[in-house]
Amino acid sequence: MNYKPDESTLIAYLYGELNEKETKKLEAYFLQHPEELVKLRGLDEVREVMSHAQDKEVIAPPVFVDDAGTRPLWHSSYFRVSMGIAASILFLLVAGKILGPEIKYSNGELRISFGNKAEHPLPSAGLTEDKVNELISSSLAKNNESLESARTEDQKKLMQTVADFNSKKMNELTKTASQASQEQVRSFVSSLQEQNLKLMKDYFQLSTADQKKYMESLLVSFSGYLQEQRKQDLQYVQNQMNSLEKNNNQFKQETEQILTSLISSPAKKKNNY
Amino acid sequence: MAETLLDIAMMHSDSLIARAREGDKNAQGKLVQLWYKRIYNFSYKFFFDHDLAMEVSQKTFISMHKNLAGLHEVTRFKSWLYTIAVNYCREETRKKKVSRSFSLHDLNPGEGEESYRWEESHHRNENPERQLRHSELSDLLQSCLMQLSQEQREVVIMKEYEGLKFREIAEALNISENTVKSRMYYGLDGLKKILEQKKITKETIGYEL
Repeated sequence: MNYKPDESTLIAYLYGELNEKETKKLEAYFLQHPEELVKLRGLDEVREVMSHAQDKEVIAPPVFVDDAGTRPLWHSSYFRVSMGIAASILFLLVAGKILGPEIKYSNGELRISFGNKAEHPLPSAGLTEDKVNELISSSLAKNNESLESARTEDQKKLMQTVADFNSKKMNELTKTASQASQEQVRSFVSSLQEQNLKLMKDYFQLSTADQKKYMESLLVSFSGYLQEQRKQDLQYVQNQMNSLEKNNNQFKQETEQILTSLISSPAKKKNNY
Repeated sequence: MAETLLDIAMMHSDSLIARAREGDKNAQGKLVQLWYKRIYNFSYKFFFDHDLAMEVSQKTFISMHKNLAGLHEVTRFKSWLYTIAVNYCREETRKKKVSRSFSLHDLNPGEGEESYRWEESHHRNENPERQLRHSELSDLLQSCLMQLSQEQREVVIMKEYEGLKFREIAEALNISENTVKSRMYYGLDGLKKILEQKKITKETIGYEL
């Protein structure tokens, strides 16, 4: 008999989860191999020992039930969106009622207006493009004509006033020139000469006075200089005289001394011999 | 008795699940109350960490609330819920590996009355000293469980503590039943060796308690 149970079979037997046929087969095996049964009983003993490991007591934490499923209708996003749209429509209706909107579509023109229609005088019918051009050109021509006439009139007036002014000026000049006599001219020239003479005189007088003043100051300063020079020369001479006198005195003294020495020295020499 | 009633309620919660799936917030709340302790304990045994277990539990039920409408078969609710929990457990494991943070519960709890577990044990009606020993044994076994690989630990917790059928575990983990059983076998075998190393046997436990 080559039957040898694997670990899974042994464990199934240990936990009583082996079917009847397999159980009998295994028990027959154990009769032949009692050491295997002892080993299995050893595992059973391990189970018994390990069963002394107790469970820890623990308190389940409180469960906070999320009330997302029972939210009121007005908290749902759909309700909020639909209410927003409804409020917008209501606002538009009220605004429309108050402002009186008018939407008009005609000839490819869509017009949306609020309130009463503004009254604008309509332009008279029957005006064509040519007529409008004609009106504009006639108006322009009239305008040009009036401008031209005003310009020529102003030019005429200006020329007239200039001519009048010039002729008046010329008349006055010729009048005064004709009135002036030969005597008057002479007196005018002589007065002019007198004036020039006087001017020259004044000039010369003024310049001679200045020169005189300058010369005077020059002479004064030169005399001062001479005086000073003289004083210095006198001082120098005095000094020279003093030194000469001094030298003279000294020479005199020296001479006296020499003379006295000469007088006294022959006697001495004699004694030495 | 209360746990039995809770289990019965969980077993017959199909109509509740159906109502919750249709958007009944009250039914969803009741589902949370029914399953919170199971998911928390599964996560706690997976991590041996209260904070991470709370984190995973909260995320699992938030996810349940969001995705329950997409559950096609009411009968698969249990495996579906554990699938969510396992996925979050794996996610938190990845984060934990990156951040390398540790819980204050990882610290040495101390001995006897100095242990914070002594404080915890005072809430029970039982003898506090006995309750403390139970608590310490639980932590010892839990530490043994933590030595298994993640794949074996998932299967062992689901089968031994959560009472899922192999089929349900296979659905939750999206693997074959044989793979589940194989992982279970090697998981128990691994635990046997760990218990032997720590000299924990049925007899020593009986003596301690």
